[in-house]
Amino acid sequence: MPTLTLPRWLSKAPAAAPPSRASLRIGIPRVLNLWSTHQFWMGLFGALGIDPRNVIFSSDTSEEQGRQFGKGRGTVDCCYPVKCISGHYGELVFGQKQKLDILFSPMIYTLPSFMSGHVARTLTCPRVMAAPENIKAGFLKEADVFAEAGIKYVTPFVSLDEPPLVPKQLFEGFQDVLPGLTRAEMAQAVGEGYQALQGFNDRLRRKSREVLEWCAREDRACLLVLARPYHMDPGIGHEIEVDLQAYGYPILWMQYFPTDPDLMDWAFGEDIRAGFIKSPFDIRDVWPSSYSSNTNEILWGAKVAARIPWIACVIRLSSYECGMDQPTYTPVQQIIERSGTLFFSFQDLDSTKPAGSVKIRVETITHYLEKYAREIIARKKAAMAPGCPLAQR
Amino acid sequence: MATATTEHYRAYTPKPFTRAERDSVTILFGGLHWRIERVLQAVLENSGYRARVLPIATKEDLLTGREVADIGQCCPTSFTTGNLVNFLRGEAKQIGAAEVAKRYIYLTAGSCGACRFGQYHQSYELALRNSGLDAFRMFLMAQDQLDQKAAMGDGLDLNLPMTLGCLWGIFCTDLVQDLEYQVRPYEVLPGQTDAVVKDSVEYLYEVFRNRPARTPYRSVFWHLTTPYFTRALREVYRKFSQIEVDRLRVKPKVKITGEFYLQTVEGEPNYNIHRWLEAEGAEVYPAAITVWMDYLLRLGLQRFEDYSGIEKGARLKLGLGRVAQGIYRWTFNRLRRAMGSLSHEIPSQFELRRLAAPYFHSRLDGGEGDMLVGKALWAYHRKKAHMICELSPYSCMPNTMSIGAMAGVVGRYPDLLYAPLEIKGDAEVHALSRCQMILTEAKKRAQREFDDVLARTGLTVDEVRAYLDAHPEMKRATYRVPHGDAAGTAANLVLHVARRLGRRG
Repeated sequence: MPTLTLPRWLSKAPAAAPPSRASLRIGIPRVLNLWSTHQFWMGLFGALGIDPRNVIFSSDTSEEQGRQFGKGRGTVDCCYPVKCISGHYGELVFGQKQKLDILFSPMIYTLPSFMSGHVARTLTCPRVMAAPENIKAGFLKEADVFAEAGIKYVTPFVSLDEPPLVPKQLFEGFQDVLPGLTRAEMAQAVGEGYQALQGFNDRLRRKSREVLEWCAREDRACLLVLARPYHMDPGIGHEIEVDLQAYGYPILWMQYFPTDPDLMDWAFGEDIRAGFIKSPFDIRDVWPSSYSSNTNEILWGAKVAARIPWIACVIRLSSYECGMDQPTYTPVQQIIERSGTLFFSFQDLDSTKPAGSVKIRVETITHYLEKYAREIIARKKAAMAPGCPLAQR
Repeated sequence: MATATTEHYRAYTPKPFTRAERDSVTILFGGLHWRIERVLQAVLENSGYRARVLPIATKEDLLTGREVADIGQCCPTSFTTGNLVNFLRGEAKQIGAAEVAKRYIYLTAGSCGACRFGQYHQSYELALRNSGLDAFRMFLMAQDQLDQKAAMGDGLDLNLPMTLGCLWGIFCTDLVQDLEYQVRPYEVLPGQTDAVVKDSVEYLYEVFRNRPARTPYRSVFWHLTTPYFTRALREVYRKFSQIEVDRLRVKPKVKITGEFYLQTVEGEPNYNIHRWLEAEGAEVYPAAITVWMDYLLRLGLQRFEDYSGIEKGARLKLGLGRVAQGIYRWTFNRLRRAMGSLSHEIPSQFELRRLAAPYFHSRLDGGEGDMLVGKALWAYHRKKAHMICELSPYSCMPNTMSIGAMAGVVGRYPDLLYAPLEIKGDAEVHALSRCQMILTEAKKRAQREFDDVLARTGLTVDEVRAYLDAHPEMKRATYRVPHGDAAGTAANLVLHVARRLGRRG
């Protein structure tokens, strides 16, 4: 009893019970790597007692959004996926019927990639990680727009691929805005965030595997999209893959490609035994400077596409002025085309959807697929090791 | 449509450079300014290598770079890639591609960052393939194990004495460069500074080439304690002392910041901006490589700051790192004192970080990160310059972000003269005219500051000049005018003379 009482006496007077956080409204711009980490944030906020209905994501990117809410807020010319964030911020600040309490825009430094530990680093693009600082400047240069709107701007720096560090980083980011927050509570919430993200990724990978198994069973072609997470935003990627799917081709996104050991051993076992790589997620054979998470995954996706027979075609999406994609154009194309897989690249995507040219290219792609898909699958099957786990169920 | 093949694509892997080849193979390098390149050549030669500096990149190199590598590169990539390719093509014409691959290797810095700088190897590789030089060996000195270190071979031994030689070379040439830019705009005899600098760099080349050999650990002790380099810098100081200057010329001081390559090179890759600014009547405050490396040290140590209390040993590593950073700065200051403390001091990284914090997070790396913001504010608050000229390559990913954040800084300090220049390599008129607009304001500000100082001290230009004529030692390039309450050299000189005359400034 005394041992329990003493610390209590010495501690500060007990604070009042923390007010409920359920009523706090948090706005999150639906941009950049939020497209691949949103489940982490939902898990985290849920564990911190935020009502999920009060977590408000901005709309998909659109030119209208930029015109209405981002006008005059730009600070520098850069790629559209970063530039468009002004519109997202503006929509959350000015475009809500019910006012937000917090605008949350994390500076994500590293990403929790399935390739982590097999590559040099899993950094985000320098523009992507720093975008919140850049966009913030546009909302501060004349007056503090956040303060005027009564919104707290929260922009923690977070290394999502370094789990031991994340509770500290997020605690520092949230301690002034979440009443009664403790370090222990944040650590637990971070754990739940990771669980939510892992669960979501696992579900999507299982779905992708089902698609691949169907293709193997039916000997049908599917398409793999190699792009950055934000190309899932209809305003950035312009739903090119949707147009292709309308022709009946299943579409897989590289981010959610199955990574089951049986499939990986089959696809990369030979390369490992030959000493080209050390694990299925090692890309040193094609990309020695494996620092960038999304770039690493794109290169890995290209390698996968080259080895899976039913991926008859790869669609590469890239935004205008993307400095991360630029050095990868040739190796990605080479990796894919050397395997006989069809490769089509949509480069320099910007704010406007080039609907006419997309339509023509989609028709071209489907024409080639109709003509060559069967032959491509047969040739790739002949070139691969026997015992593909996709074809065994 | 390509046909299927079981031969998968593999990245370029150069043949190793072996110890036996040292006498017959020449190491090519470049991409810095000529002073440090010359001294690095001496360091390599001192370590038993044959070394050759690549010629300074030109617009022709830019066009070649664009032609032979993937589209959409940043301009430093195009310049450096084209520079290497054009040099090799020229050599290949004379001795053939096979002989070029045998006789030369190219050594360049790798990076641990995610921007294109860390992926230069891809541009070089593609360019070499497109130029029929597939067999040429190119090595990145990377900061981690996953790069090409294993394939590099035992030919190049990046040992401690060589590394320390490079570091001391950077310190010395930074000090010379800084003094050079303080002196040239005020030299009475045109061309004298250039001649002295050329002579000094050649002298330093010999000093570094004849550096005594030491074992690795003895080398550390020797570098930290020897008077060898301070003696050499005192000789450089003596050479500078022969230059007569007229510091009463009112000139705006322009601090250069920006992306590492563009702020460091002097030539067409940055429109010869240093010389152009001088020709337009400015005094240039160049960007020291020493500051950049101090920033890299700070960045590295921040990791241990973050992991303190989380990872075992992080605090100890942080402490040791801080000691190393302290020794780094102490060494620079020791050498700086040998040059009469005339060259600019290196700003405290903690101060830069504190100044930048409201605008740019200190953990965001790539480019100059928060240092770009911190340096601008440091120069502004401490009156180190009238204007900041920030050089950013077209489409440079990290620097664009820092520049964007500067909008917040300029909003808070509207009188901070900031000229961010996007350098494409071939849009010179546009960039320079933009710079000129801000420079015009900086000139007015320098003149206003000078006039204010004269008014405050009650001195006239003639009186100050008469005082200088009576004290000819003050007209030497090596006379130290203390930094007073002004940014401009002329204004600080007036304040100094006023103090010596017992007047209040």
